[in-house]
Amino acid sequence: MKTLKGILGYSWAFLTIFIVLATFIGNDYFSGKLASATDIKISPWFSGGEIIKTIDHGAYKTYIHRPVFDALIGERRKGFIQLNWEPYAGLPPVVQETIDYNDDNRADFLIILNTQTGDTTLSANCSTVLSTERSYRLKKGWAVRVILKK
Amino acid sequence: MKKDAADASAIKKRSLFKTVLLCLPMMLLTFMMLTQGSIPTDGERLFALIATFLFFNILFFLMVRTGKTDRFRSILFITLAVCFVFSFISNLIAVRGSMALSRATMIEGGAPFCHLVIPMTIIPAALTKTIIFPGKILGRYSIAGMFVLWIGVSLALGRGLCSWFCFFGGLEDGFSRILKKPIIKNMNKKWTYLPYAVLLGIVLLSALTLSPTYCKWLCPFKAVTEYVEITSMQVLIQTIIFVSLFIGLVVVLPILTKRRTQCGLFCPLGAFQSVTNKTNVFEIRLDQDKCIKCNKCIKACPTFSIDEESLGRGRVKTSCTKCGKCVDACPQQALFYHVKGTPLVSKLDRYRLLFLYPAFLVLAIISSRFVQDAIVKTINLITTGTTI
Repeated sequence: MKTLKGILGYSWAFLTIFIVLATFIGNDYFSGKLASATDIKISPWFSGGEIIKTIDHGAYKTYIHRPVFDALIGERRKGFIQLNWEPYAGLPPVVQETIDYNDDNRADFLIILNTQTGDTTLSANCSTVLSTERSYRLKKGWAVRVILKK
Repeated sequence: MKKDAADASAIKKRSLFKTVLLCLPMMLLTFMMLTQGSIPTDGERLFALIATFLFFNILFFLMVRTGKTDRFRSILFITLAVCFVFSFISNLIAVRGSMALSRATMIEGGAPFCHLVIPMTIIPAALTKTIIFPGKILGRYSIAGMFVLWIGVSLALGRGLCSWFCFFGGLEDGFSRILKKPIIKNMNKKWTYLPYAVLLGIVLLSALTLSPTYCKWLCPFKAVTEYVEITSMQVLIQTIIFVSLFIGLVVVLPILTKRRTQCGLFCPLGAFQSVTNKTNVFEIRLDQDKCIKCNKCIKACPTFSIDEESLGRGRVKTSCTKCGKCVDACPQQALFYHVKGTPLVSKLDRYRLLFLYPAFLVLAIISSRFVQDAIVKTINLITTGTTI
């Protein structure tokens, strides 16, 4: 038993050199495998959530993300919906978008964004739309988060 | 007594030929990892490569030849931290124009992921299949990439990660070596439980709020990497907290105590990493027959991992980072690296070498890019006045 333990100990110790080499050399491979195997994503509280609708305005597009209310278990009472306008080059001085985020065929809010200054104006048509967070100037275009409640 | 110590050190002193032979594998491996299959053609990069290669291998040669581990590990470990900070900040300034991290960058997933965040992300990842960090899953400084490094290094070294991989630890290690003798000599043992409390607190809070609480409120290393752009009173308070923690835990207390206080008394990843020591093959053990109870190891340990009680059991605590400082400090060579499952007090040199190869390799590989980058940027700074 002692000899077996010794052999296992030495083998494991020797194997660590290969573990280290594999970890660094195969980092891209293993991280790709890890990401695909776990299907893990960035929390929508940071990424804005998946895009559920794209409106093509010709020179620019509006990307509407899904409403984010995610909690550790279940949902939170307060969340947001993120809208992106891209690309910069195609954006007019002012963009405005009417959004029906809950698919009830009624406009829930109207948002107006000044693409020069980033100023936003929100007109809420339902009580679940609260306000806007500040607008964000991204690499490709503008993003705005509208605060919602359940 | 002196004769015993001399005899003990004589055990580890190797002939030049044998040392070179033992260093050859490391030379080949570091060459392979530094070049990654191609040798740079421009002068600055080539110089950086040669200088880094020589630096690493001289340190490893001295480790093998002299039998001293921490003395040479610490040089590379501190170099890693300094070069990391220099390289990282200059890259941020080149790419973003400042060290500040804007909300827009966070929305785009532009925040580099570091290993200290890992414990906070596990519960939300398990329950929501999402990572609560504004970074990227794949690519440079990615979340998946860092997880793979963490898993690999933890499998190989356990909590040795904290002394052979962590690019922050070298900062406090450096500060803890400034004074010859500590000004604060005794610390209540209860403080060593603090990292576990911090770990529990931030894991629960992060899971409940779905945001990385430690990064947002407590990480001292934001002071030397990146910080959230100050746009509100809350962010200002957060900034004051992490700057204060950096000054207190990474600069002042390590100087006064000669210990790595952030690692030993605060770091949640360190606490989390202690678990991996239980399953790791390498450990530090004590030969109680040789021990003369001089307590030099207790005074030397930078992470409060040795006390009379643990010495009585012939082992160190699970918080040990395997830096080797106690092994170097012991005049009797009673403390030694050990491979689990093997006989306790024979082949000590073999055990140490079996640990040194993977451990030094980790340190060399993780340092290589930052050290080379820092050399190139320093050359640019001297010759052109800019790091780019």
